[in-house]
Amino acid sequence: MSVIVGVPVERPGAITSTLRRWGIRPRLRNLELLLLLLAAAALTVGWISLASQQAGRVTTGDPSVLMVYVGVLLVIHAAFVITGRRTDQVLLPVTGLLGGLSLLLMARLPQGLATQDLGSITLGLAPLQLFWLGLALAVLAVLAIVVRNDDWLRAYKYTWAAVGIGLLLLVFVLGDPTNGARLSLRIGPIAGQPSELLKVILVVFLAGYLAENRTLLARASTRLGPISVPPLPYLLPMLGMWGIALAVVIVQRDLGAALLFFSVFLTLVYVATRRRAYVILGLALFLAGATALYFLFGHVRTRVDIWLDPYVDPLGSGYQVIHALYSFGRGGILGTGLGAGLPAVSGTPGDLPAIHTDFVFAALAEELGMLGALAILALYGVIAERGLRIAVQAADDFRALLAVGLTMVIVIQAALIMGGNLKLVPLTGITLPFVSYGGSSLLANAIIVGLLLALSDRGVEPPPPPSPRRRFLSRGGSR
Amino acid sequence: MDYFTLTIWLVRIGFVICLYLFFFVLLRALWRDLRATVAASGRSLGRLVVVASPEGMPQAGSSIPLDAITSLGRDVNNSITVDDAFVSAEHAVLTFRGRAWYLEDRGSTNGTYLNGQRIQGVVPLGYGDELQLGQVRLRLERERTS
Repeated sequence: MSVIVGVPVERPGAITSTLRRWGIRPRLRNLELLLLLLAAAALTVGWISLASQQAGRVTTGDPSVLMVYVGVLLVIHAAFVITGRRTDQVLLPVTGLLGGLSLLLMARLPQGLATQDLGSITLGLAPLQLFWLGLALAVLAVLAIVVRNDDWLRAYKYTWAAVGIGLLLLVFVLGDPTNGARLSLRIGPIAGQPSELLKVILVVFLAGYLAENRTLLARASTRLGPISVPPLPYLLPMLGMWGIALAVVIVQRDLGAALLFFSVFLTLVYVATRRRAYVILGLALFLAGATALYFLFGHVRTRVDIWLDPYVDPLGSGYQVIHALYSFGRGGILGTGLGAGLPAVSGTPGDLPAIHTDFVFAALAEELGMLGALAILALYGVIAERGLRIAVQAADDFRALLAVGLTMVIVIQAALIMGGNLKLVPLTGITLPFVSYGGSSLLANAIIVGLLLALSDRGVEPPPPPSPRRRFLSRGGSR
Repeated sequence: MDYFTLTIWLVRIGFVICLYLFFFVLLRALWRDLRATVAASGRSLGRLVVVASPEGMPQAGSSIPLDAITSLGRDVNNSITVDDAFVSAEHAVLTFRGRAWYLEDRGSTNGTYLNGQRIQGVVPLGYGDELQLGQVRLRLERERTS
């Protein structure tokens, strides 16, 4: 692992020796720095491309937004170097590049898509996204540096589950309906989507529960027709999860979140038990639930009908999906170039609804082409690889399951919304992690990557052996 | 094709090249990392970390690599000799069968405990679980690959 884990600083100078006295050992992270610089170079070229296209002459435009963003990334890198944990060196540059692509797109889209008034000045889309990205990266860095112990996650798993269910109920009762989905919770001026946070809490609970009960779940004892299933009491959480997913669809009208919860849950159960029977059972439950919902609820039926044939109502319900498909077609292999895309498709710029949240992938694929779209796919692929590697190397089952679950949340979200944009699966209102506009989604995904980084530190050793005096006292007390 | 169109086309291509340069460096690093891990794997199935050992044998804080069959007890012929007054000569055996670890008590006087509960017969255990023989507490952990 000489590549991923940096080498310690060779010659301790005056500063490093001072730091060492506080128990901090700086550790160079060369790969991370190299990747960050390459990402910054790519983003700068992209920025020049965008600004020149918009101005009609070769110019760098106003690079302040991009410079602030690259500055934030480098500050976080410096913080990682100084604190010297042996965390993963790939996740920060990959996340940073995704956020940077998001920033390029937000600077390119009409700034009026999201605005926030701050006294006399009004912030547009790009500055707002920069603010949220900065906040998200700060959260990520703090978690990656500070979290050295997972007892607070492990020991209180039922408390976390209670918090999650409470959050869900709060949204059920107090939520603001937007686009027919009851997602956001408004407390004073701040609106947030608690279901974003819920998916992190859910993974923490499931990892704790499964790590504790996996050996019981893996043993078959009850026979149900041709397949043998574990003792029935241990199946209850599974049915409970299914119920929660159904409730989210019915009450909250949020298909995406329900699909995400259930697929993350099935993945974790399979990873914990290696029993295919669970997956088959889960898929059967999913099919039964999906069929029932299709016939019972209009909003589910609409989504599926659009997916099957959007051209039935090309100017109404099928409009978004059709125009997303046009975007992919127009992009071709090399793309139209940043700033040269969407307005040409349909008169006014940004008239594809939810272009900055649900359809960012279509927008980027049009302007960067297939090569750009594949690059974005590959970035999520790299996140998946790193997350699963962290899981494989984890010292115990809880950490391994936690890493798998957190990784899967990001990867399944990305897969669901990219598939939805491409009309591969029914479109669900899920965000593309780190690329879509939106504070709650950015913060939740930053928490995930921050925890993954903290989990990747394998320098955390078991507690030190007791000192001779402690040994004397503990005699007789241990039995 | 005028000068501006050509320039902007080159900048666009440059952007794509930069993106893929990032991937080239990234994938090379990931590949090396994977190779290093593969080279380091297959050495051991797991290890026991000694959490507490009042008699000092084995030393608390030390970690012991495990074979597929590891016997524990006070007798020197065991794979791991646990020299503790409350441990029987042939106390317990840890086995790796197929894809999981199992713990079995070998009729010891004071019993073998898994996560604080006395075991009966053969029980499966996962990484992170803690076993106790006499006053000695041990934790099963995955072998470090890095």
